Amino acid sequence: MARKILCVAEKPAIARAVATHLSGGSFQTHAIRGNQYVKNYEFDFNFGEPWGNCSVTMTSVIGHLTGLDFDRQYKGWMSCPPGALFEAPVQEDVDKDKLPIAENIRNQARYSKALFIWTDCDREGEHIGAEVRNQAKAGNSRIEVKRARFSNTERAHVLRAAREPVELDEFQANAVAARIELDLRIGAAFTRLQTLQLQAVVAVLKEKVISYGSCQFPTLGFVVDRYLRVQNFKPETFWGIKVMLQREGKKVNFLWKRVHLFDRAAVTMMLERCLIAKQAKVTEVNQKPKSKWRPLPLTTVDLQMMGSRFLRLDSQTIMKVAEALYTKGYISYPRTETDQFDKAIDLKKLVEKQFPDGQWGQYAKDLIDGKFRTPRSGRHNDKAHPPIHPVCWVSPSQLNSNEKKVYEFVVRRFLACCSDDAKGQGTDIEIQYGEEKFHANGLIVLERNYLDVYVYDKWESSQQLPNFERGELFEPTEANIYEGKTTAPSYLTEPELIGLMDANGIGTDATMAEHIAKIKEREYVVVHPRGSGRSKVEELIPTRLGIALVEGYDNVVAGLPNSISLSKPFLRKEMELRMLEICAGSKTRQEVVQQSLDMYREVFIHTQRRIEMLKAACRKYLNE
Amino acid sequence: MANAEQIAAQILAAKSLCVSSSWLNTFLASSQRNIPASALTKTALFRVLASDIRQSLATNPTSVFPVDVSDPNVQERRLPGPIPVQVLDIEDIGTSLWSQVEAIERVERGEAIRGREIIRTISVGEDNEATGNGSSNNNSSVGTSSASGSSGHGPHRLILQDAGGTKAMAIEMQRIEGISLENLSIGSKFLLRNATVARGMVLMNPDSATLLGGKIEALDKPWREGRKARLLQKIGSMEAEANQTNDDI
Repeated sequence: MARKILCVAEKPAIARAVATHLSGGSFQTHAIRGNQYVKNYEFDFNFGEPWGNCSVTMTSVIGHLTGLDFDRQYKGWMSCPPGALFEAPVQEDVDKDKLPIAENIRNQARYSKALFIWTDCDREGEHIGAEVRNQAKAGNSRIEVKRARFSNTERAHVLRAAREPVELDEFQANAVAARIELDLRIGAAFTRLQTLQLQAVVAVLKEKVISYGSCQFPTLGFVVDRYLRVQNFKPETFWGIKVMLQREGKKVNFLWKRVHLFDRAAVTMMLERCLIAKQAKVTEVNQKPKSKWRPLPLTTVDLQMMGSRFLRLDSQTIMKVAEALYTKGYISYPRTETDQFDKAIDLKKLVEKQFPDGQWGQYAKDLIDGKFRTPRSGRHNDKAHPPIHPVCWVSPSQLNSNEKKVYEFVVRRFLACCSDDAKGQGTDIEIQYGEEKFHANGLIVLERNYLDVYVYDKWESSQQLPNFERGELFEPTEANIYEGKTTAPSYLTEPELIGLMDANGIGTDATMAEHIAKIKEREYVVVHPRGSGRSKVEELIPTRLGIALVEGYDNVVAGLPNSISLSKPFLRKEMELRMLEICAGSKTRQEVVQQSLDMYREVFIHTQRRIEMLKAACRKYLNE
Repeated sequence: MANAEQIAAQILAAKSLCVSSSWLNTFLASSQRNIPASALTKTALFRVLASDIRQSLATNPTSVFPVDVSDPNVQERRLPGPIPVQVLDIEDIGTSLWSQVEAIERVERGEAIRGREIIRTISVGEDNEATGNGSSNNNSSVGTSSASGSSGHGPHRLILQDAGGTKAMAIEMQRIEGISLENLSIGSKFLLRNATVARGMVLMNPDSATLLGGKIEALDKPWREGRKARLLQKIGSMEAEANQTNDDI
């Protein structure tokens, strides 16, 4: 058996999981020199045609192998004007701490016929795969390169991936390379410019690095925007009309179709005309079946949004936990945009795996006994990964408390997807009273269905309405004006922020949580708890520095036609769209890098010219 | 060549507008000869709609508001009309002033909102109308109308002026096609027939108010430019009033 195949995963845990499945559990473990986490696992495996039976070395990297940086003479903060960083030469080097890992790959490649890449199947994974390939080729220029397509570490899935290798996606790897270069150049240029300029202005910034990132700033922009909306808000009084009828011992409240108006005299006049009319006429009585739809299959963005709402964990924690659950083989790959299940997936089999559970096992059995429904399909498909779903059952005793929460959410969501909608009977009654229309709605929940397992959704019966006949006249028991006040919006919460980032193309589902964590770490925003107990929410509030930066950058471009503030999502969104063009093959990496740099260079020049604006904003907010 | 009486009769028949003879004579004197009567009538009507009706229309007792039209002590009365009126002001009373200000500011920044997404409108060209279907940010503000402000759903409160110069407040009781902050120009003409006035407010609905169109350029432009300032001023005076009441307590 002369053939040897080198397999490389993105993380040691995945290498181990895949090795376990491929070897059937018997492999030899070898430590590598210089890194205590990465191991080489050796075993035999029959890949089928064309490789056949081979000896395998399964190893891993730990994320990216290389980093991009400026040449030495540009590294010092004072070495060049910050604007020079848009063009300064850059170099890709293996990170110092990754050198032994790279060496291991080169060495192993020397004796291997083929390199089989097992990095995660997403853009980042594709780029890491390309880095691994470069090292392997350096060790053995003739090595054949293949890639495994997989989205979870369940045994059958891994075995199938091993026997159906595909090619590395060069386009995706290039998109990541472009992004890395842009982040480096734009980030470094603005960070140096603003740090050097602002340190001199305000005492509290003297020792501080004021970092800029093209995702961080729009993220901060959302937080500041909401904060200012709350601060600037002016409450206003409004008036509405309430109509109540007492019938069959029940009080029926009718709601005004106009909800409320901001003109007291007009509302008073309208109420008077109702009273003059004396009798109200029932214009509609509608009994109709209502349903509350079961949720869509779970995407990363949804996991982060729902998770931080229901599980009270921040999005970064949720992603870390989900990552761990994936690595251990309990759930599918947690980074996905897909909200539709492929027809090929045997969903019932996945439901059956949940039978042993003490909490939802019975529910899963009921699904298989006839209540199973094919999940709804959303409109997104990233063509790489299925929606997040449980791969197998795990006993709660094997999980820590956060893992339990996230796993439970993923399972309940999955079972809910495979359930029927909740069904009920709705009654809508509309009345005409004078010239005004009012309505009352009733709901009786008849079948809870998915609600029984998806405890996060609420849908409850209202009070039962008495009988009304269409066309009947009645005199309301009471009709009154009520007064209310508009209230300010609340500060931004993390799920809302993720929603905004997602809608505005800031970051990818994989990186959003990191950007939020970054602006907290940089002390641009802080987290304030509001309320307590079940109603407790964490709100994001900008610091003085955060507000100063956003206001400063907004002022820099104020009045300039067609210039976009760095606090707005537009520039980054455009860059993100260009990445997609690289992935689609319609633009090259160089084209995109050049175009995006030009876009940001323009703002950079404005910023340099009008740096006083930025300084003034910092003085305004940071000088006691 | 058409004579003044013919044109006046045609406009009266078509639009129930009674054109003032002196205005019509001036109009005829300034227009070219040898224009067919039908074209001249059309032009005259167009000019009437673009004019200040205090100058262009003749009045009689039934074609103007009663002088005490705004008297809040009168519970209800009916005006047979027809009364031609021009719009001097329009406001959305279904949307808070503040959210209207926010909407205007979004337009000023060249942004519009679509769901959660913020869209840049400036580079798209001149057409920077903010017509989001409800801003997501408003969801959390319970009690605030979810309308995006500038294209709010009303109802609208208007100030109408008759040919004699009397002004009256009017409320859009039922949705009337053409009444919106963006599309209804200041100086547009309405014809009121059998309109009800309740507590000093003219009630407008599709049966009682017919939009004839038109615009008074000299009023419309400053009205639009000054709208944000007026909203802010109103908010300011509301605040001052609220503080006053608080102090009294």
